[in-house]
Amino acid sequence: MSHPVLKDAPGASVCMLGNHAIVRGALEAGLQFFSCYPGTPSSEVGDLLAQISKPAGVLFEYSINEKVAVEVAFAASLTGARSMCSMKHLGLNYAGDPISTMPYVGVEGGMVVVSAGDPSAITSPNEQDQRHFSRFLYYPVFDPATPADAYRMTRYAFEFSEKTRLPVIMRPTTRVCHTSGMVEYGPLSETRNEIRFTKNPPRYVPIPVNARRMRRELIDRFALAEELLGRSDFFPRHGSGTMGVIGSGVGYAYASEILNELGLFDRVSLLQIGAYPIPETILSEFLASVESVLVVEELTPYVEEIVSLNAFRHGRSIPVYGKNSGHFPVEFEYDPDMVEDAIRKFLQLEPRTVVEVALPELPPRPPVLCSGCPHRTSFYLARKVFGKNTVYVNDIGCYTLGYGEPLHSCDVLLCMGSSISQASGIARTTGKRTVAYIGDSTFFHSGLPPLANAVQANDDITVVILNNYITAMTGFQPSFSAWDSQYPDSSNNGQKDRGIVLLDAVKGLGVKEVFSVDPFDEAQTLDAFKKAKSGKGVNVVICNSPCAVHRVRVEPDGNRAPYIIDQDKCNACSLCVRVLGCPGIVVEDGVYFIDASMCDGCDLCAYVCNRDAIHQVEVREHA
Amino acid sequence: MHDNPKNGDFLLRILLAGTGGQGVITAARLLSEYFVRKGDQVLSAQLHGMAQRGGAVQSTVCVNSGISPALPRGGADVVLGCEPVEAARALPYVSADTIVFVNTAPIVPFVLSQNYVLESGPSEYPGLHALEKSLRAATLRVFPLDATKIAQDAGSLKTLNVVMLGCLFGSGVVPYPSQDFIDTIMVLAPPNLAETNTAAFKMGVEFAESLNVVEQVS
Repeated sequence: MSHPVLKDAPGASVCMLGNHAIVRGALEAGLQFFSCYPGTPSSEVGDLLAQISKPAGVLFEYSINEKVAVEVAFAASLTGARSMCSMKHLGLNYAGDPISTMPYVGVEGGMVVVSAGDPSAITSPNEQDQRHFSRFLYYPVFDPATPADAYRMTRYAFEFSEKTRLPVIMRPTTRVCHTSGMVEYGPLSETRNEIRFTKNPPRYVPIPVNARRMRRELIDRFALAEELLGRSDFFPRHGSGTMGVIGSGVGYAYASEILNELGLFDRVSLLQIGAYPIPETILSEFLASVESVLVVEELTPYVEEIVSLNAFRHGRSIPVYGKNSGHFPVEFEYDPDMVEDAIRKFLQLEPRTVVEVALPELPPRPPVLCSGCPHRTSFYLARKVFGKNTVYVNDIGCYTLGYGEPLHSCDVLLCMGSSISQASGIARTTGKRTVAYIGDSTFFHSGLPPLANAVQANDDITVVILNNYITAMTGFQPSFSAWDSQYPDSSNNGQKDRGIVLLDAVKGLGVKEVFSVDPFDEAQTLDAFKKAKSGKGVNVVICNSPCAVHRVRVEPDGNRAPYIIDQDKCNACSLCVRVLGCPGIVVEDGVYFIDASMCDGCDLCAYVCNRDAIHQVEVREHA
Repeated sequence: MHDNPKNGDFLLRILLAGTGGQGVITAARLLSEYFVRKGDQVLSAQLHGMAQRGGAVQSTVCVNSGISPALPRGGADVVLGCEPVEAARALPYVSADTIVFVNTAPIVPFVLSQNYVLESGPSEYPGLHALEKSLRAATLRVFPLDATKIAQDAGSLKTLNVVMLGCLFGSGVVPYPSQDFIDTIMVLAPPNLAETNTAAFKMGVEFAESLNVVEQVS
């Protein structure tokens, strides 16, 4: 049975995830090429396309990083293909170089860059407002409030991109990406753009003489974008009052529902800002009809400042409230209560009645490395050798969970691929060997240049590559270290064994001292770490062991027998819990035991135990 | 698309709470698909981030409610708490009108064991009575059940989420016959679990029906 997103059923009402609604919109627009690097909250866009790209006739790739994803998709667009790529907000920063000049050169086939935002930094090291790319680099930016918006905006965006020759940014936030809402299907596109590359170097080569011409054209094309958006239906207006509320993104959804529930649409006019640049006329007409404005938008006072500027230019001396006035905080996500409070304050209504509920103190459930995770073993063994005074620089991935108690394996962190370069900087100034931890996917993403850089500088660093053969934290996308059979039909064109051997890659960059070990072979791994510690210059220890969660899913005999603590031998010394932080080991009333349903059957706790009290449950083979 | 609910349509905001692995997100998906098939407008939000195996999970299913993906304080009509602490974590969304079904079988967070050993914070799981009391302070409509045991009796721990969905239907707040939902399970859930799921669902329905929840409410 084909996937519901491929259903050719115009008029069908479907409840879909915001990220999937983007895919449907793109399919209806005749998507031909797609590339991505996964990152929460964007990952489901690529994961769905990975499943359906073949029947949908879309060329698909999980790219090595976002810069490459943008570049291949842009080049595909130059051949006429309607192309899309997706990533999280930080991924677009990584692609900052190509995206800066793409609007200059311009597209042929329509191109949509999905860059999902993460207000409140729920799964990111920062929160940032992608809408600034509109004025910063001349991108039309779409700002959906709902999955239905995400769908219709994406469907519209390709043709719009072709008319203006501008690549566009689709910026959903977590509350749109991960919300399922009603989408009414339109027809799937029956035609596809013709693929043809016509040589025209002055058009495609932004050397300075051409770039200056392109710069002038860009201003005209951006003005056209504003004009076209002015005729779109992404700026709906509701209500008839003279108090103005302007909302963007999920802030609009909250405001709309609250105004509706409180029955305020006779006092209030609500304007949705669904895209940027905001058409000047839409805004000035709205401002001419209201006496006061409240702007509801997350992250930065972006619309708020445009509104103030527009009012000033048109001689409208009306108050503009929002972040600057203290109606909303500058930082973090909004929620319905926050928006209701601001609306009540704006309209001088009674404050919301709040029934205070006494919350008992509840234990948190912080994310931890899974039981059986090979990273835990690597961290534990490396720390045994390098000790507590060595600086451990970590990177972006599950292994960031080496932070804090009890593994203490993350003293410094910044961004994708930064572990190696930061270790270089620390080792060079302190004169002390520094350890960098980086996963396989992140290493290929952005770890290759800093490793070559460290080799060139002969830095005293030990790079530990935690190779679990998968991009685990974002949802088990394939990694370049094992481009195996997970998505054989789409991402891999059916080929197997295309993985890059990490050992060869590292040696190819000039690293002389490389160890490739299985972290669950503790003796071999300890030996490698010891040699690395006493080495000179750059050395690399590659710890190869499949992700525990993924292994159980894909290997038919992936389930291993659990371990058990022999209560006669256990003296409750607490060592296993104190140094490992494995969620499978539980203490109740001072008694240590292993939760068999959680235990993955790795042997690390048995290895750590001084009393030989931990053993694997014997599995009797059926005769 | 942004229209108000049609006249006569019921409005129902359900919050499902539990821990990673209890099937909260699957249950939300089943419910969403069910109401869509009934012709209702559904908005369902997954609140997962770093949550993985053992993390706290909350999912909402709002039927005919509007376009806001998040609940306001006290905004849940029904809370299905698959775990006691996680039910209590949903308290901000509970009002005096909210119906709360809460599974009484705890999943003890690993962090408590670590806190015990490292003496780095609270190491005791909160008392079940205290948790129930805090829920009852917010609403009188709190219905505890050992849904884990019911699921095991039905044949699989994995049907815990379906037991909780049975409670929803048995409570009388869904204006459709509960048999309808069994048809949805048959279509959408894995075929090898169809029988177990059906049994678990019926046991949940029976439990809630025996309480006369709606009578207690009105």
